[in-house]
Amino acid sequence: MNTITQPHGGSATKPKNNSWRVVDIVIAAVIAVSSGVIFWAWNNTHHVLDFLFLAFPPSSALLAGMWLFPAVLGGLIIRKPGAALFCELVAASVSSLLGSEFGLTVFASGIIQGLGAEAVFAAFRYRRWNLPVALLAGGLTGLLGGINDAFIFRWFPEYTMSMQLTYVGFMTVSGIVIAGLLSFFATRALAKTGALAALASRKAATESLL
Amino acid sequence: MKPTSMLSSSIDQQSSAVGHAIAISATNWGWRHADRTTAALAGLNLQIPAGQRVLLAGASGAGKSTLLYALAGVLHEDDDAFSTGELLIDGKSPAQGRGLVGLMQQDPETQVVQARVGDDVAFGAENLAVPASEIQRRVLMALDAVGLKLDLDHPTSALSGGQKQRLALAGILAMGPGLVLLDEPTANLDPEGVLEVRDAVIAAVEATGATLLIVEHRLDAWAPYMDRVLVLEPGGGIIHDGTPQQLFAPGSVREQLIEAGVWVPGYVPQLEPLPPLDSHAKETLMQAIEVSVSRNKGSSVAAQDMNLELVSGSAWCIRGANGAGKSTFALTLGGLLPQASGSIAATEKLGTGASEARPYDWRATELVGRIGSVFQEPEHQFVTASVREELAFGPRLAVKPGTKETLFSPEEIEARVDELLRRLRLEHLAEANPFTLSGGEKRRLSVATVLASSPAVLILDEPTFGQDANTWRELALLLREELARGTAVVAVTHDQAFAQTLGAAEFFISPAPRGAKETQGKSGLLEADIRGGTSFLGTANPLAKLVAVGLATIPLIASMDWVSSSLVVVVTLLLLPLAGLSLRRFFSRAWPLLVAALFAAWGTALVGNDSGAVLVNLGLFTITEGSAASGAATGMRAFAIAIPAVLVLFTTDPTDLANALAQKAKLPHRFVLGALAGMRLLGLLIEEWTTLGMARRARGVGSRGSVIQRLKANLGQVFGLLVQAIRRASRLAVTMEAKGFGTESRTWVRDSVFTWKDLWIVVFGAGLATAAILASVLSGSWNLVWG
Repeated sequence: MNTITQPHGGSATKPKNNSWRVVDIVIAAVIAVSSGVIFWAWNNTHHVLDFLFLAFPPSSALLAGMWLFPAVLGGLIIRKPGAALFCELVAASVSSLLGSEFGLTVFASGIIQGLGAEAVFAAFRYRRWNLPVALLAGGLTGLLGGINDAFIFRWFPEYTMSMQLTYVGFMTVSGIVIAGLLSFFATRALAKTGALAALASRKAATESLL
Repeated sequence: MKPTSMLSSSIDQQSSAVGHAIAISATNWGWRHADRTTAALAGLNLQIPAGQRVLLAGASGAGKSTLLYALAGVLHEDDDAFSTGELLIDGKSPAQGRGLVGLMQQDPETQVVQARVGDDVAFGAENLAVPASEIQRRVLMALDAVGLKLDLDHPTSALSGGQKQRLALAGILAMGPGLVLLDEPTANLDPEGVLEVRDAVIAAVEATGATLLIVEHRLDAWAPYMDRVLVLEPGGGIIHDGTPQQLFAPGSVREQLIEAGVWVPGYVPQLEPLPPLDSHAKETLMQAIEVSVSRNKGSSVAAQDMNLELVSGSAWCIRGANGAGKSTFALTLGGLLPQASGSIAATEKLGTGASEARPYDWRATELVGRIGSVFQEPEHQFVTASVREELAFGPRLAVKPGTKETLFSPEEIEARVDELLRRLRLEHLAEANPFTLSGGEKRRLSVATVLASSPAVLILDEPTFGQDANTWRELALLLREELARGTAVVAVTHDQAFAQTLGAAEFFISPAPRGAKETQGKSGLLEADIRGGTSFLGTANPLAKLVAVGLATIPLIASMDWVSSSLVVVVTLLLLPLAGLSLRRFFSRAWPLLVAALFAAWGTALVGNDSGAVLVNLGLFTITEGSAASGAATGMRAFAIAIPAVLVLFTTDPTDLANALAQKAKLPHRFVLGALAGMRLLGLLIEEWTTLGMARRARGVGSRGSVIQRLKANLGQVFGLLVQAIRRASRLAVTMEAKGFGTESRTWVRDSVFTWKDLWIVVFGAGLATAAILASVLSGSWNLVWG
């Protein structure tokens, strides 16, 4: 039987190697590509839920976290500078190659959304991967994603300003919950299976939440 | 282009493609993996002279693979992982041996990096920055040396497991290595595949003189060709070192090896003959009449006209060539796939109380107590986080047929779980996460989880693949116990000794008629359309197409008006012939985009600012002339933004796109090629998704039910897929790194070039953008979204 080692307390403050190894690149790519397929499936099905938002259309942003999770998940699993951006961008590109209602604009959206999570991880110098950081990363990704949809690409020119702002707020919430919370616990569950053995996040399941 | 008649015998004359054979030396060497508390290997002392062929044997967990990975230079020290002592190849550290060493692993799917045969063989040599012309020569030679007579553009996804392994070998040979490392290269292959790969390996090392180190469980095929056998001990070093003749001859060493589970040549675990079963116990449980099966609804039939009767206490062994539909038949019998035609019916004895006779129509919770299906990959069937939970899972879900009443009481479940843990020697692992077990333990657990709800029919797909002799013996004993209890057993297996020990009757599936196998290739989703690929746009540089579409998208982003949008839509449709597409083919792929655009239009029409006459009144919302117009503009804009990208998608091969992005756009090639390799796994993952769905249904996880149940089942399945994806990615990364991937400079066999055509495409994109803006402004409909 192979027991998993307990984390030695100070590992978070050790000098760490921020350069990407081959295994980081390939696993990031596969996470991103899988996410791209989920995007594509989601792009093709999410409209069936549109009726839920008829009463107040900006509430559709509450599910927009589905387009944001690869940034946080990729960052938490790979733990290298650029992982969040890379995963979100590649996921967006793959969904675009599969045929996306957003056409080539997803490249730009992918970069803008990915930068949100990336900025948060960078602010913690790629050393903190706990729950608050994950939620913050999801939140900023949602915020930038919301601003992108409402004010850069202006997907909803018919909305009033307060509706646009509500949209951005809802997308931030969605980013916190779907992209942040879900990704955080998915990473821990993955670590428990031993699938992350080759990565810096291999001990994610035994690290403290805070 | 076809491989020409360069002979493998010419390899040794072409010394530039051949590294000299490499010697290995280890002094007190050891390694500890990052996620383990104990060392995988310790105190290893070893000298292997150049050109020797060495077989590494030993119980599982002896660190054989670790040694190979270390020699291949793909083990890295970090905070938690480290080596002790010294390991050298030709006096240098393995990390400096890039290109001198080739490594092949067990899983054929992750030994392939590229989508086309020629590209895949070239991959390693490209990473070593071998000049392109030289690589082209080596590719033809290497394909010839492994006996793959395939077109260079042949899709790698269409190859069989044995062919994939030979392709991987060709890629290794093209690097010109002096040391070839094989980690159970044939564990996942059928007997023909084993010989196919073995012969290619032996011929290749004979021609190149390279040193060969191979780890295998099944030694029959390899032993006669080996100079030396090394036996490793878990946690220790070498315990035996000699020629195959010395170690495998009858005697104490042979006995020791057998005890460790090694398949020494000529050994088959001996079990007592099966006691005859009381004839009164024999009852028919299920009957398949004139059944034909297919993997997907509407896809071609894999096997047909099969008649099979499952009788309690008796076993069937299903045999047949690769791709004959054995697994598909097993899935169909297991109630996981519907049959294509014919009938499958459970008898009263098996199906008591069920409203339907066909197992496929049963709920998962009804299925789990009656028919147990054990999948080839144990991990596909793990659904909880501990071994104990895993065993209790099925019995908890199982219901009495036709009712919602549970089949087992909590006390019964606990007793069953304890009994199974004991019977399978998994007691000490009761709280471990199933995914962290060793290969043999996972296999035992996956069988036990299915047995836990005591099904009357047990169906297993290649249960002995890759297992050591001890696990094999345990499995055989377990299934024989089940047979004695009156369970009917069906095993898809190439393993005749295993079938024999179960006293199984043979059910042979003859190869399906030609043509039926054409659908086997699992590429498609991300590959350029066949007609699109050779069209005017298909032969253009992907970057030019992207830039052109990007330019044409600018006015659509900037302005919300139907004039510019309509213009782009019309021009895109007019361009379809340049992409080799008919309108119908185009919409077969683009229709979801049209639907999405309609939704966008509808949404805007409903909530948009009302003006003009009311067209529809839905109470809270109204559609007016004004809102309908802005709805139309929104929908047209969405459609116009979406569809030009489809032209690119239809005509662009991902490999060409990656080449253009790395060579022309100068994006970092490590990331571009990494993403490309990830994309190649996509087809595999999609297939794995359906397999996972079936594997989980066999465990009692219902995919039919309320929205909440489905959501839960789907989330669990997404997680399962993610685990498999990351595992495969880890193996693929090892393959790529062993092929020298990851350094700054590399060469490219496939040049990405710009031609005049590409310039015109970009100019056209710019022209379309300008025209759209002009038309919109002149018609007075220009409507800046940021206004």
